[in-house]
Amino acid sequence: MIRSWFEWIDAMPSSIAIRESVFGYPYLLTAHAVSMALFAGLIVMMDLRLLGWAYKRTPLSQVQKQLFPWQMFTMAVSSVTGAILFYGQPLRYYGKVFFWTKMALMLFAGINALYFHFTTYRTVAAWDTTDQPPTGAKLAGALSIVLWAGVVIFGRITAYNWMTFTE
Amino acid sequence: MLPFFQWLESLKFGAGSEYTVASINVTHLLCLVVFIGAVLVVDLRLLGTGMRRQPLSDVVRSAQPWMFGGFAGMFVTGSLQVVATPMKAYFSDQFWLKMQLLVVAIILTLVVRSIAARRAEAPVWLKPAGLVSILLWSFIAVQGRLIGLLQ
Repeated sequence: MIRSWFEWIDAMPSSIAIRESVFGYPYLLTAHAVSMALFAGLIVMMDLRLLGWAYKRTPLSQVQKQLFPWQMFTMAVSSVTGAILFYGQPLRYYGKVFFWTKMALMLFAGINALYFHFTTYRTVAAWDTTDQPPTGAKLAGALSIVLWAGVVIFGRITAYNWMTFTE
Repeated sequence: MLPFFQWLESLKFGAGSEYTVASINVTHLLCLVVFIGAVLVVDLRLLGTGMRRQPLSDVVRSAQPWMFGGFAGMFVTGSLQVVATPMKAYFSDQFWLKMQLLVVAIILTLVVRSIAARRAEAPVWLKPAGLVSILLWSFIAVQGRLIGLLQ
């Protein structure tokens, strides 16, 4: 089912145009990778505050709120360029274990952030200024670093032809 | 410079192992994430956004160890990449542009950080340095990525 959907995209003239453009792939991939680094960097800085390892004198909620717009902006650039890369070669990514691993890790990272937001973070007023947040917050920060590092790692090695299946 | 790169080539470090080169590259990327994050929070603060309610000096000092740590990791892994694939680097325009811009960016960053570390608020003339720094480091990252893509 998914495969036929990917094949449908693959046959679109706009998909073929991206695939066949000489500079499409290198420049799109570069924009994707660099915006991803900026995004992950801002996420990690927030995670370090959650862990109580950096920006300790700044209330956690401030770090979160003030970095949020920039995290969203860089994520938007990364998502759009990533989506175009995928759109240009859907069948290439379909057979890649690393690509699907990356998608799964992104999903987990999203769930981790939302779960934290609706549980531990609700009581933030009580521990906002302490430099050592509660265990739940530290756990969310540590998980976030591990998961986003995984996204970066698997995103990078998706470029290699390891663990790639073609039918 | 060519003889030096040829000598590096003769060392055959990581030769024949795509996995060695890939692991170094991935580590370089992870260090970049930490480094660029620490650079960005200060640059955004200089521009009056991001952690704008905190004294500038606080943000600079707190980001400092992560910036230097990330850079050290990038320097080691970056050097290893050159040792592993010296000819690729030598014949890449992107590599040389990146090295030249690196010198400029390092000086700019050290000067700006040393001024910012002593002030609670960014003087008006220092603010544009935040934007220049973001663009410069991003452009260096772009060139770095392109080394592997354009031959």
